[in-house]
Amino acid sequence: MLSYLLLYCLHRFNGERSLAAVYHLLTGKKSAQTLQDSKWFQLERVFGIYKTLSLGELEQAAMQLLQNQWIVSVDERSYVLTEAGKEALHEWLLSATFFTHLNGLLYDTVDRLFWYRLSLTVQTLSNLVHRHQFIPIHRHEATFAWVRTYLMAKNPHALAQALHDELHTICSSLSEEEATIFTLRLTSFERIGWTNEQIAACLQTDPLYVQLTFQHVLHYMMKRAEREPKQFPILHNVIKDLVKSVSLTLSAQKTYEWLIKGKTIAEIARIRHLKPNTIEDHVVEIAANVRDFSIAPFVAEEARRKIIEAATRLKTRQLKKIRDAVGEEISYFEIRLVLAKAGESSAS
Amino acid sequence: MHLEQRLYETFGYRTFRLGQKEIIEDVLAKNDVLAMLPTGGGKSVCYQLPGYVLSGSVLIVSPLVSLMEDQVQQLKMRGEKRVIALNSFLPDEMKKRALANLQHFRFIYASPEILQSPLWQKALKQIAISLFVVDEAHCISQWGHDFRPDFLKLGAIRRELGNPPCLALTATATKDVRNDIIETLQLTNVRQHLYSVDRPNIAIQVECVDSVDEKLARVLHYAKTLQGPGMIYASSRQWTEVLARKLEAEGIEGVAYYHGGMDSEQRMLVQHQFLCDQLQLVCCTNAFGMGVNKENVRYVVHFHLPSQLEAYVQEIGRAGRDGKNSLAILLYTHGDEDMVQSLIEAELPTEEQVRLFMAYGNDVRSMVEINEVQWRLLHYMVEKERTKARTVEEIIANIQAAIEARKHWKRSKLRQMRSFLFQPFCLREQIVSYFEQRLEKKPAHCCNRCTFSLDSYQFKRQDEPVRAFRGWEEELKRMFWNEEYT
Ligand SMILES: [Zn+2]
Repeated sequence: MLSYLLLYCLHRFNGERSLAAVYHLLTGKKSAQTLQDSKWFQLERVFGIYKTLSLGELEQAAMQLLQNQWIVSVDERSYVLTEAGKEALHEWLLSATFFTHLNGLLYDTVDRLFWYRLSLTVQTLSNLVHRHQFIPIHRHEATFAWVRTYLMAKNPHALAQALHDELHTICSSLSEEEATIFTLRLTSFERIGWTNEQIAACLQTDPLYVQLTFQHVLHYMMKRAEREPKQFPILHNVIKDLVKSVSLTLSAQKTYEWLIKGKTIAEIARIRHLKPNTIEDHVVEIAANVRDFSIAPFVAEEARRKIIEAATRLKTRQLKKIRDAVGEEISYFEIRLVLAKAGESSAS
Repeated sequence: MHLEQRLYETFGYRTFRLGQKEIIEDVLAKNDVLAMLPTGGGKSVCYQLPGYVLSGSVLIVSPLVSLMEDQVQQLKMRGEKRVIALNSFLPDEMKKRALANLQHFRFIYASPEILQSPLWQKALKQIAISLFVVDEAHCISQWGHDFRPDFLKLGAIRRELGNPPCLALTATATKDVRNDIIETLQLTNVRQHLYSVDRPNIAIQVECVDSVDEKLARVLHYAKTLQGPGMIYASSRQWTEVLARKLEAEGIEGVAYYHGGMDSEQRMLVQHQFLCDQLQLVCCTNAFGMGVNKENVRYVVHFHLPSQLEAYVQEIGRAGRDGKNSLAILLYTHGDEDMVQSLIEAELPTEEQVRLFMAYGNDVRSMVEINEVQWRLLHYMVEKERTKARTVEEIIANIQAAIEARKHWKRSKLRQMRSFLFQPFCLREQIVSYFEQRLEKKPAHCCNRCTFSLDSYQFKRQDEPVRAFRGWEEELKRMFWNEEYT
């Protein structure tokens, strides 16, 4: 299962990134580079979906792919797919139903908070309705506080019924297997939620498959809860203050605030005691993440056109190749910026 | 009010357990107290009850965030609202509120790291601390089995807070470690309450077998015949998974593994399932256990030998907290100590790490792999040496020497653990004398060096039928629907 996931990433990276980039992507490293990679190569959905992955496990999966002759090495720790590999990937993608709604980048860490709230609410209501004492399944102060406030002065029986109906509606629109996985992960008055491994054993499948399917269900649920407040009033309440519009690293966020105030890159570097290079990294990150951020002040239209043309013609996202094609008067910063923006618009 | 009456009203117990009353009386008389109580001996009552008698707040320092959270949870379950755990994960909003109203809390749990923060120190200085409690106080000693360098600073912090009376609690501290505790915390006129480490309701068995395969066969046999719930300790993450899968493949139900490499939510699920008897057996590393307050654990199996007797005593001490007869079984095969030895050495910083740390400081973490224990030790050693040595080379040489000394010490601890297995004497007496104590009375079921044998120790495994899963719709309905109220 992991090897297929790796195969998928390697296919998108097309030999232009190493195994380390796959590792950073799947574990959700919040660096400008990884955030951009996920956009450029349209790998947003798998960003941060396997946070406990170790580099060793990934290397082992790569070894297996090499042995199967599904990939060949093109550079140190970079690989491309063979024909057999492409065929295997194609075959697997047909069964990878969890890709439908999975969006790791959009819901990174938010899905966890959403799940904490939802599952603790379910556990609390179920125990209230059945008059049981219980130990909260999560230890997360902010979640406790939220659930406490939310349940305050509400009739638990009515709320339990309403939440049941909302979850039932969601589950009914899922496959039998997806609904089962989701339900088994919940903790009630009589049953502590099952682990991925336990569910996998019960359904005779792979724990990673269970994990990804579960996340896909969560993301689907979050999307609907966000968009359909009338249909899902409780779920909408759970999510409404969690979704944020942009995800930037903290440092890039500060740079962004200065940019909005009209400062130039050089000025921001001086103010923040950082190297101009670092600020440029931030600008690229902002371009990749903030939809209405214009790169026009940093790149002339002529240069932008040239870069796009070269990238399309050469079918590459490698900076070096593009630079060779467009000539030295265009900087790496400009190329990165244009690619970041292009990735942003093709992804959305 | 009588202490007994207070105990009953607050905790629902009619009588004190061994030593509790004497310790509490000394605490209430504002003496510094060092108390050693057996594992599961009700240490928390010793400071929680005074919390209801003394005016002011009780500050409890604890080595593990999870341990702290468990304690807070238990207090809250009993209806205590004036309790808080200070740690770096506290959401901003709550942090602000807590800082403003710190005096409101009866019990303040804190990690030693958070006490380093000037912000919290300032807030704590302004309130009345009636008692300064150090839980798992053996963490103070460099020669304790779970050394936490941050604990060394507790003496200075206590002084900062105006020297409130101190209660140091531990279950496993040898004489040297106890002296370290007294010195570091600067306890004066200290009252020592040292109770036997012995747990008479736990029968002890040590088995030496010929091969790893035979060990596996023994584990399987026990899992099939012994009354659960049980725990199986292994030295490595990988082994916990291997054991759980093996048992499952042999048809044992309700088995799971637990180790530090798992996702935190999955780990919590396993812990809760075990607490609620949804699981019968957990194969785990020593990451499992601290703070897991489960009363009915009937047996603890060691698939590998622990690195020292202190750790062994802590781990078997998870059994029989309800006072009922329980079993501790240690399986040994030739060569196990080599594996443990290499694991121990993997916890010491390497020369490369020391050199890189001297050159690049904290950035070293992104350059070489470095585990939590190595990191703590490295920090501690460098900090200590920097105040003494002059040149970088001198510091590196001194640290190398300190690491060698530690290696040497750990080896001798492991040798003692191993000799425990092979000495022809009563196992219980050996444990007790390791802590410089004497065994008052041997229980009827003592150990397999005495009269006890497993055959005379009747266990029978009764499996309760597992509730079947009847599809998601039915499951959802059961969750939210109570027929009694419709
Ligand atoms: Zn004996």
